[in-house]
Amino acid sequence: MLQDHLHEYVRKHGFTGYTELRAQENRNRAVAMLNGSLVSNSSGISRGVSARVVKGGAYGFASATGYGDDVEAIAQIVRAASDNAAFLDRHVQRGQPDFAPVQPFSRTDGFEHDVPVEQSYLLGIVDELDSYIAERFPSLLSRRVFARVLNMEKLLYTSDGVVSHSFVPRSNVYIFMTTQDADGQPVELYKVLGGYGNFPATFKNAEDYFGNLEKQHELLMQKAEGVYAKPGVQTVILDSDLAGILAHEAVGHTVEADFVQTGSIGGPMFGKQVASEKVSLVDIAHTAFGELAPVPVFVDDEGTPALDQMLIENGILTGYMHNKESARKFGHEANGNARAFDFSDEPLIRMRNTCILPGTDKFEDMIASVEDGYLMTDMNNGQADSTGEFMFGVPMGFEIKNGKLGRAIKDTTVSGVAFDILKTADMVSDTVTWTNSGMCGKKQMIPVGMGGPAIKVKINVGGRA
Amino acid sequence: MKQAFAVKDQAILDAAELVLDEIKAIGADEGETWVSRNVLTELYYELGKISMVRTVFSDKVSVKLLKDKRKGTVNLNSFDPVDIKQAVADAWQSAGAAEPDEAEGIAELHENLSFSAGDEQPDLDKMYGQLVDMIADTNRDFPLISYDSIGIEHNHNEKLYANTNGVRLSDEVGLYQLSNMFIARDGERASSFNYFGTVYKDPSERVLESDRVRRILDETQRQVETEQFEGSFMGDLVIMPGCLENFLWYIGDTYLQDGALISGTSPWKEKLGEQIASPLVNFELIAEHPELPAASNLSGDGYVAENMPLIEDGVLKNFSLSRYGAAKTGLKRSANSVGTFVFGNGDTPLEELIAGVEKGILLGRFSGGQPSPSGDLSGVAKNSFLIENGKVTNPLSEVMIAGNLGDMLRDTVAVSRERENSGYWLLPWVRVKNVTISGK
Repeated sequence: MLQDHLHEYVRKHGFTGYTELRAQENRNRAVAMLNGSLVSNSSGISRGVSARVVKGGAYGFASATGYGDDVEAIAQIVRAASDNAAFLDRHVQRGQPDFAPVQPFSRTDGFEHDVPVEQSYLLGIVDELDSYIAERFPSLLSRRVFARVLNMEKLLYTSDGVVSHSFVPRSNVYIFMTTQDADGQPVELYKVLGGYGNFPATFKNAEDYFGNLEKQHELLMQKAEGVYAKPGVQTVILDSDLAGILAHEAVGHTVEADFVQTGSIGGPMFGKQVASEKVSLVDIAHTAFGELAPVPVFVDDEGTPALDQMLIENGILTGYMHNKESARKFGHEANGNARAFDFSDEPLIRMRNTCILPGTDKFEDMIASVEDGYLMTDMNNGQADSTGEFMFGVPMGFEIKNGKLGRAIKDTTVSGVAFDILKTADMVSDTVTWTNSGMCGKKQMIPVGMGGPAIKVKINVGGRA
Repeated sequence: MKQAFAVKDQAILDAAELVLDEIKAIGADEGETWVSRNVLTELYYELGKISMVRTVFSDKVSVKLLKDKRKGTVNLNSFDPVDIKQAVADAWQSAGAAEPDEAEGIAELHENLSFSAGDEQPDLDKMYGQLVDMIADTNRDFPLISYDSIGIEHNHNEKLYANTNGVRLSDEVGLYQLSNMFIARDGERASSFNYFGTVYKDPSERVLESDRVRRILDETQRQVETEQFEGSFMGDLVIMPGCLENFLWYIGDTYLQDGALISGTSPWKEKLGEQIASPLVNFELIAEHPELPAASNLSGDGYVAENMPLIEDGVLKNFSLSRYGAAKTGLKRSANSVGTFVFGNGDTPLEELIAGVEKGILLGRFSGGQPSPSGDLSGVAKNSFLIENGKVTNPLSEVMIAGNLGDMLRDTVAVSRERENSGYWLLPWVRVKNVTISGK
């Protein structure tokens, strides 16, 4: 746990004008085995201090590695940020007032999960999983098992009197299996395990996951005998993982207030019907369905207390995600979406845990309702556009013929315009699942959670003619 | 500039020597370290205004040690001797828990050298002037363009590689970099996002004097109103240079680099010396090039980098393997890694290259899923135009393409005479036949 040396700085120097002062430590561990060889065995710490100062609407930011009890070193960083703000203020002379102050508060979150973990523990889990795959499935062309830990600790002081100290752990294991199809071409399937929590608590025993490995191998064998999907618009059931990335990529980015101001489709559609009335979408701050969300945020990096942000309510676009500046511009409330990845990064408007809320349909009934279409179960990456046009990669799915699951399909991609696709959502399942391995890129990378039920839509599939 | 080994910032050398001393003292057989000190100065524009000046001071140290071919690696961002000693101890502990791997090792002793290029200090006033001019020139010449963000940054970095075999290499670079994201907007109609990135030495150059920049802004303005089509067909792709970059990264990852070759999934693993692409395909990794300031002098594993062809006249000449990857596969270590590259130009003028297309797409950007290990890929054609009967016609939206990277290289039927330069790469337009193109 970081010692609080910022308090001494604030006691001695105080703040001049609007200032955020943050000490941060990102701790990571990585172990990777490729066909039984240990290709990565590393750990790392990124630790430092940053300050952001705003003068007349001009932002100055500075950061430096290292963090200790040297109050003068902290003062130098604040001065550098202040000098940067002054340089810009001289040139742009925007003359904006400071942000309205928030009520001072102090809180600490997440440190019950700050448990030390040895590299040997990760190595042990990875080795056991790899050995199991090697023994059980010797005919695989290749196998890769990665373990990743990212623990983010932030200590924030603001000139408003907000003090927030938080710890957010993430622990994942990635399993890649590759076989060959009848033509000798490699066919791959990967799955991600774990999520929020420290590594020993998340992965108590490797054998708890042997069942997942058996299932993954079974799916891979089906995929190796799979067919290319048909190109063009198809009826598709997007299972939870894909509904989650749809919520994030296709809708979420278009309703980030900075993208709205640039001209995203979320601007003109505010207050309008953008989805079927079965669809509601929310960016969860920290708690959903009685449990912690995958990436809980209690206070953002501008010192704003984090609350859930409703984005689409029964099909109507009702909200945007904001930082302090955009909230002031739009006359909305900021609900804690200003987030920074590393100590050297400034806060940007970011999603936290975007989730389509569950509906009332049973998954089995959804499959039975499709005469000719696809069930798509896994996603690998996604991108979105200001127009709401999006794509994501689909490494696993199945044909649906006459209400029954058929052959597996090979890797494909789906795309569409988010609000057009969501208007076609005529069934929404009653169960939500989360993914917590995603990193969203927007100037900086940042961990995000994505969740959703299964939804039935019409969507463009990038198949083969 | 290349010279005998000499480090400018003594703190970097002191940190590296301490790492190596600790590696030896703790009992490791061998080890290596990268130590760097970086100052980033950034001027940032977003939402219609120059919004921020940002300065980032960062120190980085990476430690790798080996004991009985067991590896431990630790990264930290501190030169503090206490932190360095702890890092070596942590790496030692990691190595103790690891399985041995005979392919592990470090660079053998070779000539110790230092390289340097560019300015150490940023010129913030010139950066500010360049940004103001860029916005004004854009507003005047391309009034529909709306920038979401523009970043102009100067990075000064001095980095040092040292290992227990006595290797010492350093590289000091001060370069400017421009990044951005923008759309064209006309009322409520908007184009897709687009961008261009450039690395350069002189911030007094006007950004909009570049033909490449003007082409991309002009094309984006013409994409405000797009059309869709129904059905699918097999047609040609004319891949623009920025999009070709994207495909070349995919090709590196799927066919040429450590992961694909160690795992054995690379479809080219047995094809060295064979014709794997059209004779028009020439793809080379660059360590030194008068037009590419971003080229790196050092490899990631402690060697001086060299220019190296990967594909020459369609023949696979080299893989891009690290020292470890080479030892693991029995293949030759690469003299470079995929970072800065050129694709050889052809002899077909761009206009003629497009005129030869009966039906296809002029592909500006590819938004797609990660290719499968076999090279299959599919995704959305962004910032793209329809080509019909040799003419570029409507800008497109909601159009997908699907094909195979290896097939695309074999089906390359023309390469343009013209090339564009981002500072990272020098790339032409490439025409590929027989790709599945599907509309709504």
